[in-house]
Amino acid sequence: MLPASLDEAVDALAATPAAVPVAGATDLMEAVNAGRLRPAALVGLGRITELRGWRYEDGGTAVLGAGLTHARMDRPDFAALIPALADAARTAGPPQVRNVGTLGGNIVTAAPAGDTLPVLTALEASVTLARAGASREVPVSHLLTGLDPVRPGELLTWVRVPLLHAPQVFLKATGRSGPARATASVALVLDPARRAVRCAVGAVAPVPLRPLEAEAWVAGCIDWDGSREIDPAATAAFGEYVAAACVPDSYGAEGAWEAVTEGPSAAAVRLRRTVSVLARRALGRALK
Amino acid sequence: MTTDPNETLDADPLGLTPQVSRELRPCASYTLRVNGFERPVTDAWIGESLLYVLRERLGLAGAKDGCEQGECGACSVQVDGQLVAGCLVPAALAADSEINTVEGLSAAGGASDVQQALAESGAVQCGYCTPGMAMAVHDLLQRNHRPTEVEARQALCGNLCRCTGYRGVLAAVQSIADGRASDVEEAEETAEQAEQAAAADQPAADRPAEEPAAEPAAAVEPPVYTDADAWIEHVPQPPAEQTPAGAGEPYGDGPGGYDSGVYDTAVLTPVQGIPAQTADDQVYYPPQGYPEQPYQGTPAHGTYVPGGYPQQSGYDTGYDDAPVYQPTPAHGTPLPGTAFDGTPPHGTPYVATPPHGAPAEGTAPAGVPYGATPAHGIRLTEDDHAS
Repeated sequence: MLPASLDEAVDALAATPAAVPVAGATDLMEAVNAGRLRPAALVGLGRITELRGWRYEDGGTAVLGAGLTHARMDRPDFAALIPALADAARTAGPPQVRNVGTLGGNIVTAAPAGDTLPVLTALEASVTLARAGASREVPVSHLLTGLDPVRPGELLTWVRVPLLHAPQVFLKATGRSGPARATASVALVLDPARRAVRCAVGAVAPVPLRPLEAEAWVAGCIDWDGSREIDPAATAAFGEYVAAACVPDSYGAEGAWEAVTEGPSAAAVRLRRTVSVLARRALGRALK
Repeated sequence: MTTDPNETLDADPLGLTPQVSRELRPCASYTLRVNGFERPVTDAWIGESLLYVLRERLGLAGAKDGCEQGECGACSVQVDGQLVAGCLVPAALAADSEINTVEGLSAAGGASDVQQALAESGAVQCGYCTPGMAMAVHDLLQRNHRPTEVEARQALCGNLCRCTGYRGVLAAVQSIADGRASDVEEAEETAEQAEQAAAADQPAADRPAEEPAAEPAAAVEPPVYTDADAWIEHVPQPPAEQTPAGAGEPYGDGPGGYDSGVYDTAVLTPVQGIPAQTADDQVYYPPQGYPEQPYQGTPAHGTYVPGGYPQQSGYDTGYDDAPVYQPTPAHGTPLPGTAFDGTPPHGTPYVATPPHGAPAEGTAPAGVPYGATPAHGIRLTEDDHAS
């Protein structure tokens, strides 16, 4: 099935609730090829052109279509809008995958290493879930944590992202120099209007994590009215703070026996170092 | 089983296909437009990837099945003009799209300039990644006519090659770009000449329609496809009439011969063979980053190399200017150039070897013992992005 408009797609999903909506299919076909998924029916979303762009709304909000591909988000006009999301899309994978992989698919798949997820979490974005005759608005974090999951027959249509007009950074640590899954990623955005720093750490947990205490602490260290300068020692301390908040002592420990031993596990120490470096650099670059 | 034994035999001779009901195995029939040709696909499972359908149902085995995860890029095809991993596209959803495979590159019967350049620059060893590479290079040069090396590397980052590496492919990208640029200039020149001739003949006539800078691989004749159930004998392709610019003269046994040089030099030095191409006061230089010294091939066996191998005396070397025999020095004589001065006499005070990581002579940076790698956690200057 290849519906040409959003209404047709929603109706098709309502008619066959077991059908799988397919946008870029990069995650879906990987599961199908591995034999982990046997779709009963497919509803292709590639023809819905209205979801492949974005529009602006009052109150400084951009409404991004769920069908925006990573390659489209990488272009300069989008990067001027939401730089961190463009950075995340640029590093998301090889060109073959970025040409078809979509923003909405990245959210719905909710892979732990999904690159756009920490950015959307840090931006406190919300998504629109549409079904036949109705739609509702859900924060991305609620969707990812399973607090308010996608119900059968619903389609993720729009992603509402605030435009902050301030530096945003996305940094990612991978196992190799080419496109690869993140071992840890950090998205950090400044919100000068609210005098806040918002940070999210991806790929270290099933969902992106927000170190709220570290954010609040470092926001108090920044001279918001002046040149937004910060003591380098505070930047380094922020990195350690974020790492300690996001990586538990028992990270990577197998079984309860290792979990009760003294001190953090070796994997936790290593990952904390990675996260702290990423967070420190992200804050440094955002305030540069 | 079914009542008709022949039908069973034809459909599944070994009985490998499990009997699955239609609800569990939903199928669809659709038409794919591959390289400009309508190819019907009947009764295919909806979960089949475009790669599977192209290879197994349509007999287009150019795209290769590497990882089925989109990591390797061996299955790269173009769908609606965009490079995608064929293994990650549901074929049923590509029904209305324009699909271009690597078979479509050689539309005129011979190899396209991309394939020719890949073969000539030595970018092929086992060949498994090559169709994907060819599609990636084709896609890159469609969007970017003069890619820098970084752009080429970024475009090829989704194609894994474990045999030859990527330098041959990168050299091929540059040679294709150079060749196409010179082709465009030639076309412009001929168009200008035709224009001037036409203007001289009949000044009032309309200007002749300018030929767009056609790609050399434009489809002239329909491609020959293998049917899924028929083999086609390998037809040797005629060599391209013009070697792309930058190909130079091959080394070794003449045209098409085996390169005797090391891989990298064999790939990269042909650039040195050609002079800088001058056309319309624009000079194209060979690609950056390659060695500038001319290729010194390994001399043929038996060739005398001056100073290469000192001959032993007492043998007839056959050379008039044979090097003078230097006798082996007596035992204990320090050889010129060696630092060893012999074991010191007994009783000489022993100078201990410095510990590992010790600085040569007072080169230790402040705060770092021995000049070794600083301990983890020490702030390096390049890490300090805050200041």
